[in-house]
Amino acid sequence: MNAEIRNFQYDESFNPLKDYVCKGYDEAINDKSQIRITYKKFLKWFNNQNYSELSKKDLDANRLFKITGITFNVYGDKDDTEKLIPFDMVPRIISSLEWEKVEKGVSQRIRAINSFLNDIYHNQEIIKAKILPLELIYKNPAYLFQMVGFRPPNNIYNHISGIDLIKTKASEFYVLEDNVRVPSGISYMMKNRDIMINLFPELFAELPIRNSKLYPRNLSKFLKKSSPNSNIKSPVVAVLTPGVNNSAYFEHSYLADQMGVELVEGIDLSIRKGHLSMRTIEGWKKIDVLYRRIDDEYLDPLWFKEDSLLGVPGLMDVYRKGNITIANAPGTGIADDKAIYSYVPEMIKFYLGEQPILNNVQTFRCSHKTELKYVIENIDKLVVKEVHGSGGYGMLIGPFSSKKEIENFKRKILANPKKYIAQPTLALSTCPVFSKTGLVPRHVDLRPFALLSKDEVYVTPGGLTRVALKKGSLVVNSSQGGGTKDTWVIDK
Amino acid sequence: MLGNTADSIFWMFRYLERAENVSRLIETGFQLFLTSKNNIKKEWQSILKTTGSENYYYDQNQSLDSISVIKFMLKDPSNPNNILTILDKARNNAKRSRVSLTTEVWEATNSCWIETSQRLKNNIYDKDIQNILFELREKIALIIGYLNNTMLRNEILYFCYLGTFIERFDNTARILDVRHFLFMPNTMVKNDVINETQWEAILRSLSAYRAYMWQNQNELNAINISNFLILDDKMPRSLKFSLDQILKNIKLIKNNKVKNSDSFNLGLSIQSKLLSRKRNYSYDFGLHNYLDKLISSNIKLGNIIEDEFNFHK
Repeated sequence: MNAEIRNFQYDESFNPLKDYVCKGYDEAINDKSQIRITYKKFLKWFNNQNYSELSKKDLDANRLFKITGITFNVYGDKDDTEKLIPFDMVPRIISSLEWEKVEKGVSQRIRAINSFLNDIYHNQEIIKAKILPLELIYKNPAYLFQMVGFRPPNNIYNHISGIDLIKTKASEFYVLEDNVRVPSGISYMMKNRDIMINLFPELFAELPIRNSKLYPRNLSKFLKKSSPNSNIKSPVVAVLTPGVNNSAYFEHSYLADQMGVELVEGIDLSIRKGHLSMRTIEGWKKIDVLYRRIDDEYLDPLWFKEDSLLGVPGLMDVYRKGNITIANAPGTGIADDKAIYSYVPEMIKFYLGEQPILNNVQTFRCSHKTELKYVIENIDKLVVKEVHGSGGYGMLIGPFSSKKEIENFKRKILANPKKYIAQPTLALSTCPVFSKTGLVPRHVDLRPFALLSKDEVYVTPGGLTRVALKKGSLVVNSSQGGGTKDTWVIDK
Repeated sequence: MLGNTADSIFWMFRYLERAENVSRLIETGFQLFLTSKNNIKKEWQSILKTTGSENYYYDQNQSLDSISVIKFMLKDPSNPNNILTILDKARNNAKRSRVSLTTEVWEATNSCWIETSQRLKNNIYDKDIQNILFELREKIALIIGYLNNTMLRNEILYFCYLGTFIERFDNTARILDVRHFLFMPNTMVKNDVINETQWEAILRSLSAYRAYMWQNQNELNAINISNFLILDDKMPRSLKFSLDQILKNIKLIKNNKVKNSDSFNLGLSIQSKLLSRKRNYSYDFGLHNYLDKLISSNIKLGNIIEDEFNFHK
């Protein structure tokens, strides 16, 4: 065969996995470098693609994202306020068998958290049983005294949760964090799926991939079900956003759009005749269920931050009279506190009488003298986090930090030990990621989203997979160079 | 529908209409620059006056050379009505009312903004100008096309049209007003050639040249032109047509209950003022006064709409 013609037959000699070298647990290949069964069909297809065509699709994906407007704002960045989260077009694949465990585990966890919240704002049995120390609650700013003794409609606090998971080996999942305040990222999960269907329709025609696009319909159903009064036939739902400049504005507008409900800001709202109402072109209209995407402290300046313009003066009075459902309920944040986190397995046993399905990561609380001592002595092996931090800021990853960074952090911990917890560094699994030279392994985590009502739980099939795009990096947060990819739960 | 949303959507479509109008004005000027250079300075002056940016221009520039004016109108930040700024505002309002737009309308708007602003932020060469303007108008046409074909027929769409026609009424009235002297008696006799150019400029800046020529057997004259642009109810940029649309959409928003509607009643009084000018009225010293009143009533109508439909707290 003519050598020149051979050049055009890209695929024959090209092996996308030739540089695929991984150290720890990888989801696509096993330790004998064989392709795992879940990835077999996909990688076979992938191998038959023309690589330069795929690179073009990569650009298409970026263009599509830009046009949909799914962007986020980086605070303090003046040049270009709207940024795209990098998207990787290689799907992360999970078998339905494994997924069953995650689904059950997430459902168990959010039910236990809801029972905990009901308890902690009322009888406090868990404290009486000496499982949880009292001071962890009373000295916690996320614990709202305004909520003590108040029953939210249908006894539901965490209507919407996002549980951060990592996988360490086959069917072995650890919970890193329970996000029950205002978990975000669902719009990326949905848009990732849209874009993948757009780029590779043939894969969706061929493979039994579970539909992850039913979330808005379920969200709408669960929110309506949570209405404060069962006599209301078609409750009016609205999504409350801090406004167009908020980093998650596109998600807020996306969810309102998909549910077919109004997206409101504080300036649209007022209390009229004992109800929360929105200013429409025909006058004031009552709202029954408010899906708020602002933090507790901004909800009502009469109860919380006096200078907040994002919320509505008097909202908490309407709430306490039982005239509105707020999702998630104010005060829910106490349950996703990093210090409370370590007690979730206990909660599952205490409230549900069940054994925890998902693992908790061992957590050292620096507020304890002995544990603080252990953390300081072993800091180079640990991940240290601020109890109230988020977004990957204010944390130290021991094994990846310089001596100087470690010394500085030690000083910070010793100055205010209560502010910190530490966990062993876990070996996050890796997944293949597209690069110009072929596939490369990168660390991933997973955030499934879950909905809770008085009689039902819904867990998204899959969830948002975040990926650390830098080689070796364990930080998946978008604010620090992380990207996302589509997550496929595949039926057999 | 939220008052706030009505506000955003109304202004989104005012700005889109404005962007299209300004781009058509630039295009008209540019065509004249290529074909009849003699009187081009006067034309640019009229165009700058129409968009209300004459003073801003002289703050920065001494002479009226065509390329400077065009760049000024396309992207100079010292001009509050430059295309780049207008598109920014349109898109910001679209983003605020994202929930009331179909995905198609939103994405067409977003990509119009992304691509046009990218293009305008680069260096602009003479040879690009026609293309830039053509593509911009094409992208706006795509938004309007999606608007007409994908939106529910409800108050959201009616506010889109309301914004469009309030802006259009203003634009047509200003284009005529800036050249009202052309409609005075005897000017036809004085300088036919220059007037022909100016008549053409007026018609072209309203995309009305071809339509006019069809209706008037290729004959350009003051009476027919003013009849056409003011009173013709089949001409989609005439004052009469725009006002009919404004009234129709207020009626739709109010579900026909317009008896006590301030905006509808003001619209009716503008209509009677508009129709008070008789057809074929040739000795028209009063045109400036007439248009001036219509322009300020239309501004008032915009404000009354904002109040009546609770745009603001």
